[in-house]
Amino acid sequence: MLFQKLNPGTGQPLYLQLMQQIQHAAETGILRDGDQLPGIRTLATELIVSPNTVVKAYSELEHSGHLELRQGSGAFVKTARRTRHLADRVQLARRRFRDLIDRLREDDLRDQEIQRAFEAELLAAVEASGKR
Amino acid sequence: MLWYKAWLETRGRFLTCLITLTAFCFIFVHHAQEIAFRGDGLSRAGRPADYYRLLFVTQQFLVMMWVVSVVLLGMGGLIRERAFGVSTLTLSLPVSRCRLFGVRVAVGMVEATALVVLPWCAVFLTSFSAGLPIRFSQVSFYIFLILGGGLSYFAMAILVSSVVEGEYTAPAIAFGLVLLTAIAFDAWLRPYSLWRLITGDLSIDRHTYLLSSGFPWSGVAVSLAAAVAMLFLALQRIRKRDF
Amino acid sequence: MSESFAIRTNDLTKSYRQFVAVDSLHLAVPKNRITAFLGPNGAGKSTTIKMLLGMIRPTGGNATILGHRISSPSENCRLRQRVAYVAEDKPLYGFMTVEQLIRFTRRFYSDWQIDQEQRLLAEYRLPLPKKVRSLSKGMRTKLALLLAFARRPELLILDEPSEGLDPVGIEHLLRMLVSQAAEGVTVFFSSHQLAEVERVADQVCILNHGRLGLNARIDELHQSYRRIDVVFETTPSERELAVPGIERIRSNGRQMTVLASRNADQIIRRARDLSAVSVEVSPVPLRDIFLETVKED
Repeated sequence: MLFQKLNPGTGQPLYLQLMQQIQHAAETGILRDGDQLPGIRTLATELIVSPNTVVKAYSELEHSGHLELRQGSGAFVKTARRTRHLADRVQLARRRFRDLIDRLREDDLRDQEIQRAFEAELLAAVEASGKR
Repeated sequence: MLWYKAWLETRGRFLTCLITLTAFCFIFVHHAQEIAFRGDGLSRAGRPADYYRLLFVTQQFLVMMWVVSVVLLGMGGLIRERAFGVSTLTLSLPVSRCRLFGVRVAVGMVEATALVVLPWCAVFLTSFSAGLPIRFSQVSFYIFLILGGGLSYFAMAILVSSVVEGEYTAPAIAFGLVLLTAIAFDAWLRPYSLWRLITGDLSIDRHTYLLSSGFPWSGVAVSLAAAVAMLFLALQRIRKRDF
Repeated sequence: MSESFAIRTNDLTKSYRQFVAVDSLHLAVPKNRITAFLGPNGAGKSTTIKMLLGMIRPTGGNATILGHRISSPSENCRLRQRVAYVAEDKPLYGFMTVEQLIRFTRRFYSDWQIDQEQRLLAEYRLPLPKKVRSLSKGMRTKLALLLAFARRPELLILDEPSEGLDPVGIEHLLRMLVSQAAEGVTVFFSSHQLAEVERVADQVCILNHGRLGLNARIDELHQSYRRIDVVFETTPSERELAVPGIERIRSNGRQMTVLASRNADQIIRRARDLSAVSVEVSPVPLRDIFLETVKED
């Protein structure tokens, strides 16, 4: 992963900025589950920030479950299962949609009507889960 | 490593003085040889007293040069380093100020001793090989007189350089004091003259020009005591001072 | 004696006949952190450091470094074994060659790292046989830094280390500082390069006229200090906006700029209560915090 320089001028503590960089990288797939992050000394000298900033960022991320700090080996990324499988599930969902759309078209429904029906059901579902 | 540093700092001065003094000694021996051969049918050996008188007169020049050398060697130290902005480096080393001072003084004393012993050895060896009537006891007498009496000049230089700031002010004051004491000893304190003690004037026999009377232990003791006192004062000054 | 502090001073004072250079200083420099020691020229930073290292005798108070009392010459001598120091003017022995000076310094410290020395010599491209007095200013600065960075002390004290360095040199210096800190070295350095300080420091101490004006963690400064620009409908008096945490208010008609060291939210709420038309919040760079702390009243 290529780290961006941390900016002291944003009013946000540097360790928070670093945390966000790592979290963002994990969410967008740049960092995958099990990837090893650079050691504290390496990252600190690369970004030219206090090692303490890196320590704080890593320890907060470990606390929130995004990292696993293994004694002696380093920091390893832990992506939530949801994130890992999301892409696969999105793929599956789109296939299901395609099948449904084909069948509804066979029932002689127009695309606009299909879309309106879908949106109405989704809205109703959102309202139902909101009440819970 | 402090010894190495002190050597690097003083070796220029030391070697220049050593060469000058040793060269002077060779000139003396050459001169003495001429005296021995000169004139109206004098025997090759000449009269011993002539030789010894020449030795006595010449060594006074030697002593003068030695005192000048030794005052030069006493210059330097932390005060001078401060003027050059380097005292911070020396004082940040994990060594006590006592040790810094002690090494400087020790190296200076070794060099001062070498500046007496080596030229006198040159005199002894060359005179001996030229067949001139030189005696080891005389040479060692002169050496001990200079060291016993003269180290107080070195101590004075150390004291001045530990108190006075300024690269040129310190030696100026030190030499000024040498001159002042020389005048004072000559004018008022003749029986107690340090200068006469060092050059052997108080011990010399005016007929044979041999150092004959007993070694002036009391005079040397007073001089050494003064040297120790001055070194102690210098050390206290260095220890108490802010850098 | 707290063991989590590398440097601890207690009422440390140095007064001269005409003025007081350091005035009852209470400093606590945490271990394993990078602490920046800031202050305008003449604030007493160098004097404080020299007192800590036994070069100047304090007129009052006491201090310890790594548990050693600075006032005892023998303890001070021992603590200098564990401390690396680069003075403001980067003093070097001009009469020695680069090689002689390195060999000389090396002998005094058991924490000397030969491989680090070799690496720095190559990086800095220092000519070993050249006499120190014939080196350029930049080279002399690098050599002075090498004498400290080729060691692994417990505490590293640097007085204005970036002076005399070009931007490349400053970047390299900061990288070395961070690298040392990552090895567990406590770093205590003074600097005028506030942008750099803001990046690498964990803690900031600001000295002004011999007194500590500010001593805070830099994360806290980043989180708490805010600049709040308010435009009011009707000009209120400054007193109405009195909320603890306001350091300075500048007003011009209906506009007000507030520098707050904390309680920004409270201040914003009060401004809104006083019919503020627009409220803009922005972070405060260290430079502004510094200028505010050392300004003359």
